[in-house]
Amino acid sequence: MLNSLRQRLSNIPRGEDLRNRIRTLIDDRVRIITAGLSIRELRAVLRGDPPTEKPNPRYKVITTSFIAHLRPRYYPQGSTWFTHTFRLGWFTTFFFMVELITGLVLMVYYVPFPDQAYGSILEIESNVFLGELWRDLHRLGAEAMVLFTWLHLFRTYFTGSYKGARTFTWLTGVLLLAITAWLSFTGYLLTWDQLGYWAITVGSSMAEAGPVFGPATNLILRGAPDIGVGGLLRFYLNHVVLFPLVAILFISIHYYKVSREHGISLPAAIEEGDVNDNKKKEANRRVDLIPDLLTHEIFLVSVGILALLLILYFDLFNSPLETHANPQATPLDTKAPWYFWWLQGLLKIDPAKIIENLVNPILALPLLKPLGLPPLELSRLLNSKFIMGLIVPPVVVGILFVIPYIDRNPARLARKRPFAILWGIAWIFILLALSYMGLPQFGIETPAATRVIQDLAPEEGMGILRETPYEELLPGIYTVGETDPDGICPSDFSYRNRETGEEVIGCPHLTEVFAQFSEGLLRAEEEGRLPDLHATMLIEQFGPELIRVELDVIWTDPETGATKIYAKHYFLHEDRSLEE
Amino acid sequence: MKRIHLEIALGTIFIILSSVVLIVMAAEEPGRLARFEVEQRAEQIEFGAAVFEINCTSCHGSHAQGIPGKAPCLRCPELFASRLAEVGWPGSLEDYIVSVVSTGRQVSTRPALYQGEGKGPPVMPTWSERFGGPLRDDQIRAVAAFIVNFQGWAENPEVVPTPLVAVDINDPVSLGRVAFVQYGCIGCHAIDGLSQATTGPALDGVATRAETRTGYESAEDYIRTSILNPGEFVVEGFGDGIMPTNFSELISEADLENLVLFLLSLTEP
Ligand code: HEC
Ligand code: HEC
Ligand code: HEM
Repeated sequence: MLNSLRQRLSNIPRGEDLRNRIRTLIDDRVRIITAGLSIRELRAVLRGDPPTEKPNPRYKVITTSFIAHLRPRYYPQGSTWFTHTFRLGWFTTFFFMVELITGLVLMVYYVPFPDQAYGSILEIESNVFLGELWRDLHRLGAEAMVLFTWLHLFRTYFTGSYKGARTFTWLTGVLLLAITAWLSFTGYLLTWDQLGYWAITVGSSMAEAGPVFGPATNLILRGAPDIGVGGLLRFYLNHVVLFPLVAILFISIHYYKVSREHGISLPAAIEEGDVNDNKKKEANRRVDLIPDLLTHEIFLVSVGILALLLILYFDLFNSPLETHANPQATPLDTKAPWYFWWLQGLLKIDPAKIIENLVNPILALPLLKPLGLPPLELSRLLNSKFIMGLIVPPVVVGILFVIPYIDRNPARLARKRPFAILWGIAWIFILLALSYMGLPQFGIETPAATRVIQDLAPEEGMGILRETPYEELLPGIYTVGETDPDGICPSDFSYRNRETGEEVIGCPHLTEVFAQFSEGLLRAEEEGRLPDLHATMLIEQFGPELIRVELDVIWTDPETGATKIYAKHYFLHEDRSLEE
Repeated sequence: MKRIHLEIALGTIFIILSSVVLIVMAAEEPGRLARFEVEQRAEQIEFGAAVFEINCTSCHGSHAQGIPGKAPCLRCPELFASRLAEVGWPGSLEDYIVSVVSTGRQVSTRPALYQGEGKGPPVMPTWSERFGGPLRDDQIRAVAAFIVNFQGWAENPEVVPTPLVAVDINDPVSLGRVAFVQYGCIGCHAIDGLSQATTGPALDGVATRAETRTGYESAEDYIRTSILNPGEFVVEGFGDGIMPTNFSELISEADLENLVLFLLSLTEP
């Protein structure tokens, strides 16, 4: 025993030998960890130097490393040109990663029960170190992901990259679009504020409008006829477990097609255009994953992170949080997130009504009248929620699905497929127009007094009344048409702005509030919508540091002659935030 | 420089910049958290005021000033100075309020002073959803924050302003309307546009009715007596002893004058 030990000891190399032994030992470990790169090679990679060994050990990594094997060995240079992909698909993936990481952090604090959900969001913002940052990152990342998914879709459409072998990639892409939409939709409810609650209630009520299975689908989705404990839990589980998994699966499939099967398409001009051979050669030169693509992607990560942080640092983005969800009170303007405005716009179109309006005048023509045809009452049979909410969106997705099969034109070059390009541009305009129609102000007739007050101080959100500094809220009664907005506070009135410390003379904010209130109402009076207008703004000290502002509008209804009153009031505390 | 070198250099700079931004944000974070808490509290108080206005004014008065005979003042010094000791509550005032509001009150602890709607127990109903009431926990917390916010006034009662209620200071009728709110008459009496309480008779047209009451010098005399000595003439359909009898001590001479003028302006159309 002792002998064998002595023998071993004498075998230990010394001097140069020892150093070499240790070096190979470390090198071996490094090779195992990097799946094939030695220390020297690793340094060459980091410096952007050519490979140090033959055969190129960097290719070995692709076969031995799990992570790297998901990636291509190389792309042809042409398909990495920035103006070809704009890195849109890449950034979509990046934002998805941001969502996964920030989402995991938020999950630590979030409680998916109606009586605690809203409070737990407040807790994240008020009691978790950098909690607001995490929440903003998650929200911003989500909106960016949706935006980039759409942009990426249009990019692959316009470059004709969905053709031929890439048809399947396109199909999985369409699924990813739907998955992304569903992820953002389910996440919207979780804050359990009025904004989320009502947007989701309106959105998911479409399911209920469906025939036969409608009510059952609604029940499965919400767990009860209305969104409550069960509904929140279901949306939560959809959002944090089921659909992240589904998304990971489909992103993997989508990406596998790109990275392993047919690469990113070459720019159409290279494939079909008449560019010179030099250019073609350049476009076909290999760009290796290690080190070029990898370095580039790490660089993109640094760009992405910096951009997100700067946007948040300069307060260019804020996650909204409105008042606690209240199933009894529908807010005046229910607003879906911007990327669903197109859907909200669709819901405002009533096709049955449009057909009626077209057909009924014809039926009423003198020629047809004697036939005694009754007027068409299509809207009785077809409700618009059903058509526009349940039929149209799946049809849109269906169209997206079959685009590669309808478009049999093999050419990818824009000038050889003018119709497809026009069709794509038309879609952009349709989406924008529908989104515009989806704005809460569009096409919904709000009574004049309600509109004026809602614009000053919306039921949810800020508005200029709530942005008025506390110091300017001078108690008093201000009557529209009598009180001059400019003379609303004493001429020698001044105060110190609490943020900037600057001296403010007069009360500019309050003046603006009252001016807007007066102008809106007086205009409506002139237009005959508010006859016999009598309107006041009443500012009252309601408690210490607490002001109550009441806006009263009294008028005579032009049709019935009855006296109408519309009144709203707001409590404003000295310490409230004046920003959203 | 090759593109890869440029990317390595820029990437490094961006990562360093990101770290700097993050460090700055982290340094500012304690301040932000503190500010958020203050702003959150402010919004809680505002929210509580709205909850109070919808649910509590019928008993505790439009401005939490209390209604004699019905329910106590919730902004007066007594609540802040001595009430906790009186009931033997060991915790904070805010928690006391949360507790009382959540469960309500079966029987009054001061039956001589406050009887709620006067319909027997409970003198104050349960408010918490947990016990079958209408309010969520966060609403009750908010209303408690709103009440505790009155601390400043309770400690300096002389700074408390009179409520406005569309007042014209030169018009006694208008001031009387304010007094009607201030002394809690609106807690029992309906007047079109002011209150819909049903504990006492609706006072629209009271001036016309007062003309017909026999045994009084004038309508004015009847109204004044009704306020100061309600037991002298009990309106049919209402019990004696519901309207507080101590208004002569509570209402100042000037306010009483205005109050009477205000009620005299309520003639039948
Ligand atoms: C039906 C009438 C009624 C309504 C409505 C009512 N209360 Fe009360 N409340 C009372 C009465 C009566 C008392 C006094 C009981 C006593 O003295 O024991 C009381 C006592 C209280 C107390 C305890 C005060 C003290 O000094 O101990 C608080 C706090 C309170 N109410 C808050 C509220 C709030 C907040 C609301 C609205 C959500 C409300 N009340 C609505 C009748 C009412
Ligand atoms: C706790 C409830 C309550 C409060 C508070 C209250 N009242 Fe009354 N009031 C009544 C009841 C009940 C009657 C009818 C019985 C009676 O005449 O005594 C009444 C009667 C009256 C009448 C006679 C009405 C008539 O039609 O003849 C007048 C006037 C009146 N109150 C004025 C006031 C004024 C002014 C105040 C405030 C300073 C006030 N009340 C506060 C309950 C109340
Ligand atoms: C979660 C959403 C999605 C992710 C993460 C994603 C990711 C990617 C990535 C990383 C690429 C490589 C090329 C590039 O960076 O642009 C790619 C290519 C592609 N994607 Fe997507 N994608 C998504 C959604 C979609 C959608 C909605 C479509 C279209 C309906 C689509 C269709 C395609 C096509 C056709 C290609 C091949 C492009 C080419 O070869 O030039 N993808 N995707």
